[in-house]
Amino acid sequence: MRELFVVVDGRRFPPKQVIAALTGLDRADFTSHQARTVLRRLGFTTSRTQVENSPPARAAHGATAEEVRVSDALRPFRGRFVALSGSEVLVADERPEPVFEWLESHDRLADTVFRVPLDPTVDLGGFPS
Amino acid sequence: MKVDFRPLPGVAGLTPRPVVDVRLEGIERAALGCLVDTGTLHNRFGAWVARMAGIDLDGIQPESLGVGGRSTIGRTTPVALRLGELSWEAPVTFCDPWPWDFQLLGQEGFLRWFTLEFQVAGRRLELSPAD
Repeated sequence: MRELFVVVDGRRFPPKQVIAALTGLDRADFTSHQARTVLRRLGFTTSRTQVENSPPARAAHGATAEEVRVSDALRPFRGRFVALSGSEVLVADERPEPVFEWLESHDRLADTVFRVPLDPTVDLGGFPS
Repeated sequence: MKVDFRPLPGVAGLTPRPVVDVRLEGIERAALGCLVDTGTLHNRFGAWVARMAGIDLDGIQPESLGVGGRSTIGRTTPVALRLGELSWEAPVTFCDPWPWDFQLLGQEGFLRWFTLEFQVAGRRLELSPAD
């Protein structure tokens, strides 16, 4: 299964949600395809992504739907340390100490702990995407 | 051991890369996502990792380093590392500042301990202990 999305200010949204918010129209009054067409004409980037229950096929950029979900889930935590389990952010903080304290006190294991870069494009440094 | 390439966790681009989950002695609750960087000589980790592992960096001579085109201060000490069932001890340079969401595994601290096969077309890394 694939799902339409439009990129607004670096974030992905369902096209119908964007059009409904902008115009006040009821979502039942237009289709996703129509919303996508309008947004494309306005210059927004639209595309489709894999969604849950889909096999872990890789999109053109090589990432799986799960990897896209992780990337999206991390966006609100830029500059903070996070403990990640799958695509779920278990805990986040400005410092790593509270993150590990939380894992300890809740007897949880994380897949990984790291600091989400403030600006991912800048923080790549010598590792261009 | 076979590891699928995957994107670095917090960066843009989503390009799958050779990233492995390494465990550090003293940090039991989480692994650390490490980029296998054939161009790096030594392992380079963020200094916060040392703090979390209870590694005392006081008294270790600091050195100025360039990492990824940036300047940082590093302190190097041997550390016990583990990847799956494979374990080894190697120097790690703990760096501050460290702006990235991943650590770096280099030639002396990682590559020399393993036989690695990069299957880039298949986006897979295969590794086994070095002979």
